[in-house]
Amino acid sequence: MRMKIAVAAMAVAIAGSASAQDAYVVGITSALTGPPASTYAPAMEALRIYIDRVNTNGGINGKKVNLVLLDDSAEPSKAAANMKRLTTQDEAILLINASLSSTYAPTIGEAKRASIPLLFAGGVCPNEVYPPADPLQFCTTAYAATFDSRGALTFVKETAKGEVTLGLAAMAIPLSRGEMEFAQKIAPEFGFKVAGLEVIPPPTPDYTPFATKLKDAGANWVFSWAPWVTQVRTFEALRRLDWKNDYLTWAHLEAEGELQRLKDQKLFVIGANSLYQDNLPIHQEIREAVKKAGAKYPAEQMSEGWIAGMVIEAALKGAGWPATPAKVQESMQALKVDLKGLRGGPIEWTKDNHFRTKQFYRVYRWDDAKKAIVVAKDWYSFDVK
Amino acid sequence: MQLAINIIVLAAIYALIACGYVMIYRVSRVLNLAHGELMMFCSYLLLTTASMFGGHPVVAIVAALVLSLLVGAFVYVFLMRRMTGEMVLAAVLTTIALGVLIRGIAILFWSAQQQYPITRLGFSNMTFALPGGGRISLFAALLIATTALVYGALFLFLRFGRWGIRMRAAGQNPLLAAQRGVSLHAVYALTWSLATLTGALAGILISLDSGLDATMVTIGLKAFPAALVGGLDSLAGALLGALIIAFAEVMMIHYVDPLLSDVVPFLVLIAMLVVRPWGLFGTKEELDRV
Repeated sequence: MRMKIAVAAMAVAIAGSASAQDAYVVGITSALTGPPASTYAPAMEALRIYIDRVNTNGGINGKKVNLVLLDDSAEPSKAAANMKRLTTQDEAILLINASLSSTYAPTIGEAKRASIPLLFAGGVCPNEVYPPADPLQFCTTAYAATFDSRGALTFVKETAKGEVTLGLAAMAIPLSRGEMEFAQKIAPEFGFKVAGLEVIPPPTPDYTPFATKLKDAGANWVFSWAPWVTQVRTFEALRRLDWKNDYLTWAHLEAEGELQRLKDQKLFVIGANSLYQDNLPIHQEIREAVKKAGAKYPAEQMSEGWIAGMVIEAALKGAGWPATPAKVQESMQALKVDLKGLRGGPIEWTKDNHFRTKQFYRVYRWDDAKKAIVVAKDWYSFDVK
Repeated sequence: MQLAINIIVLAAIYALIACGYVMIYRVSRVLNLAHGELMMFCSYLLLTTASMFGGHPVVAIVAALVLSLLVGAFVYVFLMRRMTGEMVLAAVLTTIALGVLIRGIAILFWSAQQQYPITRLGFSNMTFALPGGGRISLFAALLIATTALVYGALFLFLRFGRWGIRMRAAGQNPLLAAQRGVSLHAVYALTWSLATLTGALAGILISLDSGLDATMVTIGLKAFPAALVGGLDSLAGALLGALIIAFAEVMMIHYVDPLLSDVVPFLVLIAMLVVRPWGLFGTKEELDRV
C-alpha cells in the first residue's frame, strides 16, 4: 500500500503542474516514515481513501482533487523542502502538515511566504489556531494542549474514590513534556497530590526503571499524555511491578486495538474521537471504504484522516471554482462540518477560532463482564474561547 | 531490590546487543553501524514466521533465528565482501547505507505500527516475585539467561572451537591466517552471521517483552557506548561496559533526573575516551587503527 501511495504521489506530482488548472491541488507533508510514522501514516492513508472516493463520485464542484503527498520522515529540513516544492512547483491552494511539531516552523514559514492556508491534520494543533487565530493556520486534530489535561483531570476527579496521588508520564519531547508539566501545575486545583513526573526518552529499552519510580512515589492514579509507545509501555511496566491502580492515557489511533489486547479494566483512554465499538453508520462507512481500498492500516485508525477529508471537502466546496488560496482561506474561516458522530460535536471555525468552538471528550475502558470496550464517561465538553 | 533487577535487565539488553558490535569489529575491524537495524529487521522476521507457523511458536522462533543467521551471511556475501581491501571507512559507510535501506524495507513490509509478536505467538509475559520484593517479567528473565548463555558459549567457542580459533586468527593477522589456509571469507561470513544472530536474540526478546516498532534501531545505537567503554575488541569488556552503563542509567533515573538517562551512556563514554581511549579491556594498538 505504501508503494501504491508513493507511486500515486509520484504520478500526481508529475501530472500536478499540467493539471493544476483542472483540479484542486492539495499539498501534504507528512511523516510517512521515521520513528513517529505510526501516528501519521494511517491518517494519511485514510485521507487518500476519502479523497479517492470524492474523486470517484465526481469530485468537488465538478473538479477532481489532486493530493500531492510527500514524506518528510519527521525531519524539519525535509518538511521545508517539501513545502517549497508544494508552493512553487505544484501550485497547491491548500497545504497540510501531518508530522511532528518540530516540522511546524519551516512549514508555517513557507505557507506564510506563499499566503496559502495551512491545515494541521494528525499532528498536534499549534497555539496559533486558538483564539485569536492566525489567519492562515487551521487544525482538525483531536488532541489539544492544556484542554486535554483539564479534561483528563476532570475525569479523574469524578472517578476517584478517595484521595488522589497523581503520577505523570511524558515522553522527552517538548510538547508531551510541556503538557504534563501543565497537568502537574493544575493538579492541586483538583485537590490532587502529585507523586512525580517521569519524562521518558523516546528510545528506551526498558520502561521498568521509570515505572519503579512512579510506583515507589505512591501514585494511585497515573496520567500520561505522550505518543502511544510511551503511554502503553509505561503502563505495562507498572503492571509488571504489580501496581494495580488506575491509569488514564490519551486515546491515540492505536487505543481501540490496544484496549482489546490488554483487557485491563483500570486502563482508561480519554479522547476526542469516538471508537469503532460504537458501530455508528459513519464507522460502517469507513470500514467498508477501507476494505474496498485494501488499506494497510485498520479502519479503527482512520478517524483523524477521515475527519481531515470531510473538512477539506467542505472547505473546497465553499471556495468554489476556480479556487485560489485566498478563496479557500475565506471558506475555511466560516466553516461548520458535521462529523456524523466521529466526535462529540462538529468542527466549527470562525474568523478568530481555527481550532473548534467546543472541545469534546469521551473516556473508554475495557469491561471484563461484557468482554468489550465500554464508555466510562460519555461526551463532555469545554468551550474554546 | 527492584533497582538491582532493573540494572541487571538493562545491562543484559546492552550486553547482548553490544557483543554483535564487538564480534564484527574484533574479527574484521569493521564498525557495523547497521547492527541496530539488523536487530530490528530480525525481530520483524519473527512476525512473519509467527504468521507462517501460527500454532507452533517454538518453530516460529527457531525459523526466525535461522533466518537471522542467513541474513548475516547474506549481508557479508552480497555487500561487505565487496568492501574487502577497501578503506575501513568505506566499509563503515556501507553499513550506514545498509541501515537506511533496512529501515525503509521494514516500514514498507511491516508498516509503522506498533507490533506485538508475543500475541501472535500466543505467549503471555507473566511476572515473578523475587525475594526482597523485586519483580521480573518472564522475558526479561529469559533475556538475562540468554545473555549469560551467549557470552558463555562465545567464550568457549572462541577459545576451543576450530572456527572460533580461526576467527581469532583472522582478527589478529588476516594475512598470516590466510597463508595458513584459513578461508577469510568463510570466517567473516560466519562472524556476520553470529553477530546478527545475537542481535536478533536481543531484538526478539525485547519485542516479546515490550513490543516492536521502528524505535528499536535507536536501542541498538544506545548499546554502542557499552561496547566502546568495555573496549571494542573485547567481549568481557562489553559485558562490563554494559553493566557500568546500565548502572549509571538506572541510578540517574531513580535519584537524579530521568531525562539524563538518555545522555548518561554517552557521558560515561566521553569520560572513558578521555581517560582510556581504548576502553577497559580493549587493545591499545587495535584502536589506533580505527
